[in-house]
Amino acid sequence: MVGIFASLKWRLVTSRLRATSGATRIWMIVGFVVAVAFVGLITVGLAALRSVPEAATPVVVTLFVVQLVAWVLSPLVAFGVDETVDPHRFALLPIRPQILQRGLLTASLIGYLPLANMVILFGAAVAIGVPWSVFPVALVCAVVQLITCVVLSRAASTSMSALMTSRRGRDLGMAVGFGIFVLYMGFVTLLNSGGDQTGVPAGASSLASALAWTPPGALASVPSLIAAGQLAKAGLAVLIAAATLALAWWWWSVALARSLTTVPSATAGSSPAGRGHEGHAVAIGVVGTMEVVAGRDRLLVWRDPMRRMPWLMIALLTILYPFLIVRGQGAVFAVAFGALLVGAQAGNQYGVEGSGLWLHLQTISDRVRARGEVFGHALAAIVPGTVILLIAVAIQAVWHDDYDKIPAALGVCFAALLGGIAVACFVSAAIPYAMPQSRTSLFASSVPGQKGRTFAASLSVLLGGAVIAVPAGIATVLSLTVAPVWGWVSLLLGLAVGGFALWLSSRLTADRYLERAPEIFAVVSAGDRV
Amino acid sequence: MILPHYPGQQEAIASAAGQAVALRGLTKSFDGRRVVDAIDLDVPTGSFFGLVGPNGAGKTTTLSMVTGLLRPDAGRAIVAGVDVWADPPAAKARMGVLPEGLRLFERLSGPEMLSYLGRLRGMPAQVVKDRATELISVLELADAGNKLVADYSTGMRKKITLAAALLHSPRVLLLDEPLEAVDPVSARIIRTVLSRYTAAGGTVVFSSHVMALVEDLCSHVAVIAAGKIIASGHLAEVRGSAASLDDAFLHLIGAADVGEGGLSWLGSSQA
Repeated sequence: MVGIFASLKWRLVTSRLRATSGATRIWMIVGFVVAVAFVGLITVGLAALRSVPEAATPVVVTLFVVQLVAWVLSPLVAFGVDETVDPHRFALLPIRPQILQRGLLTASLIGYLPLANMVILFGAAVAIGVPWSVFPVALVCAVVQLITCVVLSRAASTSMSALMTSRRGRDLGMAVGFGIFVLYMGFVTLLNSGGDQTGVPAGASSLASALAWTPPGALASVPSLIAAGQLAKAGLAVLIAAATLALAWWWWSVALARSLTTVPSATAGSSPAGRGHEGHAVAIGVVGTMEVVAGRDRLLVWRDPMRRMPWLMIALLTILYPFLIVRGQGAVFAVAFGALLVGAQAGNQYGVEGSGLWLHLQTISDRVRARGEVFGHALAAIVPGTVILLIAVAIQAVWHDDYDKIPAALGVCFAALLGGIAVACFVSAAIPYAMPQSRTSLFASSVPGQKGRTFAASLSVLLGGAVIAVPAGIATVLSLTVAPVWGWVSLLLGLAVGGFALWLSSRLTADRYLERAPEIFAVVSAGDRV
Repeated sequence: MILPHYPGQQEAIASAAGQAVALRGLTKSFDGRRVVDAIDLDVPTGSFFGLVGPNGAGKTTTLSMVTGLLRPDAGRAIVAGVDVWADPPAAKARMGVLPEGLRLFERLSGPEMLSYLGRLRGMPAQVVKDRATELISVLELADAGNKLVADYSTGMRKKITLAAALLHSPRVLLLDEPLEAVDPVSARIIRTVLSRYTAAGGTVVFSSHVMALVEDLCSHVAVIAAGKIIASGHLAEVRGSAASLDDAFLHLIGAADVGEGGLSWLGSSQA
């Protein structure tokens, strides 16, 4: 039975390669080669740590901990990546739970990701297996680590699988994705803050010594403890690791039994929308339509994590990034990068509805409403975007005492914001692309077969927004080199050029939408299937 | 050389007088396969019109072209005297649509969605509110309160879509499988509302593959198979001398003795 699971998984893994042909296959192979080289590099780097024994154990301890956390969290962030994750696919087959569990474990160990982990863990074993006499012990520890990762990951995803099929669970997954992003930003900020060069290794090693008594850390420190003759400590570490694996296995079996015998309710556990927001604006004329559409967009940004999370990320990036890329004065101008990202938020305004776009096709079919819709989506991005930009510019100006650069910086920011939105609106109609509507992952942004389209659309928004910001940028340069009064010129130019771009874009976008609505609808409906 | 004759716009509209929906040579191909093959169809005003056919016959494709969601390769679709593809705003103001298998604005509640769509059509906010409240109470969606559409059951989704289709009091309703996978209570509610709508002078076109339902509800019926209309008219005419519409349908599409032969092992399992 275990063999059947293994062959099933092998077919799933290889069928992706077999299904492709020509250029796609070549690119896939190139991708594999790059990935192999990358994994190889990490492995060699780890193995090289063997010559620095005092660094090897702390590094591997941290690696083991990070690896385990990543395995446990990844199904929550990117649910449905692996078809063998969902036990419901096996619920109707006559298989006993114990056999199913062993089969699923085997299947989980076959794949690109476990293979890459195995190779990296081999490098880690070389690093901590000093002297060579304890290398076999290190190797066993590496294998146990991989199995623990897989078992705990499966246990977590199985107990969450009922949750993840509900809307609230997937919303939660998005929040976790955002949390990971925040952690990453914090980590990068910490690394970039630099500071005392001697303080960092000390902090890292004290962190590692604390982590050494967590289950994966204990596993990583077993070889060095044995080599040092601290057999009692080594025994305790082995006990911690073994107990963890046994508990994880038990948790998985319980979760599996429960998920195979209970049917998740599709509607229970869903929450009401809270107080209804019905609005009073009526779509008469461009302005009326803009108010109606912007009102709904505003509501959805609050309510829909797929729309809310990107805004939180942008707020974070716009405020933090200038600190990372520019040290000292002039960081106010780096806020303009955030302005481009805000502009991109107005992008793919037709695709974001999925096949729900048909409701707009039935109601927005004349030019006045089509323009109103464009302005409505634009307004829903301009209002929060302006708030974020003002805050970010203010923070940078106060931090670096750069008050005199504020007008010029705002000029570039508004030009990039309005220009980015203008281009984003037009690109929504010119290069629409489907967005996955199943919301299984915050980071899934395109559907199969439309990756090129998605990339082209995103790139043209960033480039187009930057081009529209050029006049304001020139005035900004003059404000720094010739006279500060050019800063105010930059602000005026930014608002004027950006505003004109948006006005022009509304006309072009509306024409394009009315001309191509059924084709746009056909493209974006593909998002339903993913 | 004799070219195939496609009627011009004015000619087509003139020929559609008295018809709620008129299709003239409507055609659509996917990958070289003709899914809808030059369909001509007349739906009289005030009729309850059933469009029946097996899966893949072209029902949804035809309705999508009539509702403006799918561009036809050739031909015309005239709804309430307006060519759908020549004057979409006028045509769409006169039709209410319930498509199959498409999403709604999932993160709005039912009342919010109705309010949004009504105001987007330019109806005064108070009129929208009054009508939405009435529709929600008649369709028995009041219990859902402010639940998001994402959390609605299949029957509730069909009902809220029907409410959205009726909100602007259109002359024609175009419904794709309105009763598919709907519980009996919701189905009865939908049927009652549709009957009231036709009694008030509205026209309903709906597709289905449940013959008993069509026989029960419809005054007129058209049978579509492999992208062609193979029979159309009053229910009694299409049924002819057959015992039921089901029999007549299977006879028309040439599948009278399906599911026979083979399978002799069935029911002999020892496990």
